[in-house]
Amino acid sequence: MATVQPSSPPLPSGERVGVRGGFHPEVRPKPRPGLEPALRRVFGPDYRMGFLFVAPIVVLVLALVAYPFGYAVYLSMTRKYVGMPPVWVGFENYVRLTYDGFFQRAVVNSFTFTFASVAIKTVLGMGMALVLTSKIRFRSFWTGVLLIPWVAPTVVSALNFLWIFDYSLGVLNYLLVHVFGVLAHGVGWLSEPSTAMASVIGVNVWRGFPFFGISFLAGMKAIPGELYEAAAVDGATVLQRFRYVTLPGIRNIVMIVLLLSTIWTFNDFAIVYILTKGGPGGATMVLPVLTYEIAFGAQRLGEAIAVALYMLPALAFVIIVLSNYMRRGRAR
Amino acid sequence: MDTRLKHLAEQLDAGLIARREFLRKAAIVTGGTAAGLHALRGMARAQAKAKLRVWLFKSFVTAGNDVVAKHIEAWAKEKNVDVEMDWATFGDREQKFVAAIEAGNPPDMAEMNIYGPMRYKAALRDVTKVASDVAGSKGGLLPFAERAMKLDGKFLGVARYSMTTVFFIRKDIMEAKGLKPPKVYDPEVVEFAKKTQDPSKDLWGFGQTLNRSDDGDGFMDAILMDYGGGVWDKDGKPALGTSFLKQNMAALQFSVDTIKKYGIQPPGVMGWNDVSNNESYMAGKLVTTNNGASLYYAMVSKKHELAHKTLCVLTPGGPAGSYVGSSCYNWAVFQKSQKPDLCEDLIRYLEDEKRFTEYVQVSVGQAGPVYRGRVDNPYWKSDPNFDAMVQNILRSVNIGHPGPMTPAAAEVRGQKILTDMAGRVVVGGLSPEAALKEAHARVEEVFKIRSKA
Repeated sequence: MATVQPSSPPLPSGERVGVRGGFHPEVRPKPRPGLEPALRRVFGPDYRMGFLFVAPIVVLVLALVAYPFGYAVYLSMTRKYVGMPPVWVGFENYVRLTYDGFFQRAVVNSFTFTFASVAIKTVLGMGMALVLTSKIRFRSFWTGVLLIPWVAPTVVSALNFLWIFDYSLGVLNYLLVHVFGVLAHGVGWLSEPSTAMASVIGVNVWRGFPFFGISFLAGMKAIPGELYEAAAVDGATVLQRFRYVTLPGIRNIVMIVLLLSTIWTFNDFAIVYILTKGGPGGATMVLPVLTYEIAFGAQRLGEAIAVALYMLPALAFVIIVLSNYMRRGRAR
Repeated sequence: MDTRLKHLAEQLDAGLIARREFLRKAAIVTGGTAAGLHALRGMARAQAKAKLRVWLFKSFVTAGNDVVAKHIEAWAKEKNVDVEMDWATFGDREQKFVAAIEAGNPPDMAEMNIYGPMRYKAALRDVTKVASDVAGSKGGLLPFAERAMKLDGKFLGVARYSMTTVFFIRKDIMEAKGLKPPKVYDPEVVEFAKKTQDPSKDLWGFGQTLNRSDDGDGFMDAILMDYGGGVWDKDGKPALGTSFLKQNMAALQFSVDTIKKYGIQPPGVMGWNDVSNNESYMAGKLVTTNNGASLYYAMVSKKHELAHKTLCVLTPGGPAGSYVGSSCYNWAVFQKSQKPDLCEDLIRYLEDEKRFTEYVQVSVGQAGPVYRGRVDNPYWKSDPNFDAMVQNILRSVNIGHPGPMTPAAAEVRGQKILTDMAGRVVVGGLSPEAALKEAHARVEEVFKIRSKA
């Protein structure tokens, strides 16, 4: 911006002045209503440097997140076969899926699988955390042992359960029938719709509850002991202490864990694919497995991506609701 | 230091040349050296080995895998080619192909299953010359293999061998009961199974899943045809719930009855995958089952006690005959390959009779003939169980039968629509009519989508 001699009297904008420098040696520039002052005002005087620092991560996010996501959205609106160029079909894939009974069943199964798994994991995880905060011997050892399902690779766990659930050769039926004598005959764990769904939920719970437990445990340890002491002095029972001290103290952690687990469970592919492949008769077909099947079995990539993206708004809604809840909690 | 640079430095020190002159000459010397080295590197590269990326099918017949790898390595040494071999199993090969093709980075050549040439047609090279030469030298291709390899008048795959299914029977149990191998499912297999099974000892007469699996889907596809029906009519249009409705109803009803009415299948059969019947048979819990020759290979190679107690016979049929689908493994060359000549040379090398016989001999029946000339190989007379394998291959039909082999037919199999149909009746509580109607709608949808393509 042009500088004006301190001795110069204030002049109307645009009046000729005999100063050096600036945009024009003889014309006092108008104060620009343009971009730069606005940028300075919004981002601060060092906004150029700021942009420079932020640029690498912006480029990375655009290249690794925004572009693939945008391309996936585009492909979901095309008819795309392997090795052939995509043909734009607009919302045709989404419309077809909406009226597809097999897809509708997969949506219902996905929600059943997700909500049942997350609910059971929450209860078990809370139990695990409460036990581990109490005064038990070898607490570190038990903490480590309970983490094993979470640490073991999913594929290995699922393959082990495939064997465990086998009707004739599996260890579960052997224990129930021959060792404990609880049942007269074995159960076809993976061959009936209800037991198959229960089995895949069970494996997901087995694998996922330690994450809940450890996260809740971390939250419980951060609650000051004085609160429990004060509650005890006030005559609060164990349940009341849990209700009015523990739960409010770990509320944010519970929300984060629920949020993450809901997303992970909804997108869980390996357990269902290895155990049932969506069977019997599509009874355990969930969206990730259906996506895989349409992509690699049918080789219709556009529609497969449409399946994957179809539930994105629902998941986004869950995330937004939970995030808002957490924000409100912090504000209070 | 380069002697020329050293000499220049001495001249500079002695004041014989100016500093500017020194810099100019030193730049020429170093630049010239660098350019020379670059040219030498280029020449060295030009003389380096050619590189070939080959993707192979990792079959359960591990001895066969070793033989193929050995042959390829021998060829690479002979031709001074650097071959990068990569393996894919039943479970991950399609994903690898899809990813590589979409990324524009497929291998030079690959071993594919029977659907490969049709599925990846857009990315494959015309190999008519080498395919015709190989077929010509071996008495010609079997019809089902030719239909799968030749699309629109061009060969997109060079056939190698066929994997088929046969009917496995516990010979010892059958003989103890004084029975003969069944030829049709209803009533012979049912009666055979009832007479030989002993549920109290967890021994079941028949083991055939109707769950979502290749085994289950192959069985369902075949049994529809055995009853005179099928998914497609002769023009390749959906017929599951229309022109073949009556026949398909009968076939579906029979399939379901093996589990629900006759009680000849193990209780957990609807939870089985492709290896479950192998495991159950080898554990001595099944009297009969349909399976590929890999089960026989597994028993023979492990010297399993049931290997010599097993009889392999032709797959049973129905009122309209017995239909079998066999695979046809083949070599395909990708369009993106820069070395198609090398690929074709490798194919000719591998399909040489001497080398192929070595492969067949370790495969224990899994590498069935796809060329007429190979049917008469004495190897197929070396074990009585091999006869059923060869005979099943000779009468094989393609997917889509009695119509053409189409992408829609492959997709119906890929999406497991037929096993879903059976499963909906066995465990889903649907009537056979409703399940057929539901499956027909899915087939129609696939047909409609594929027709647009």
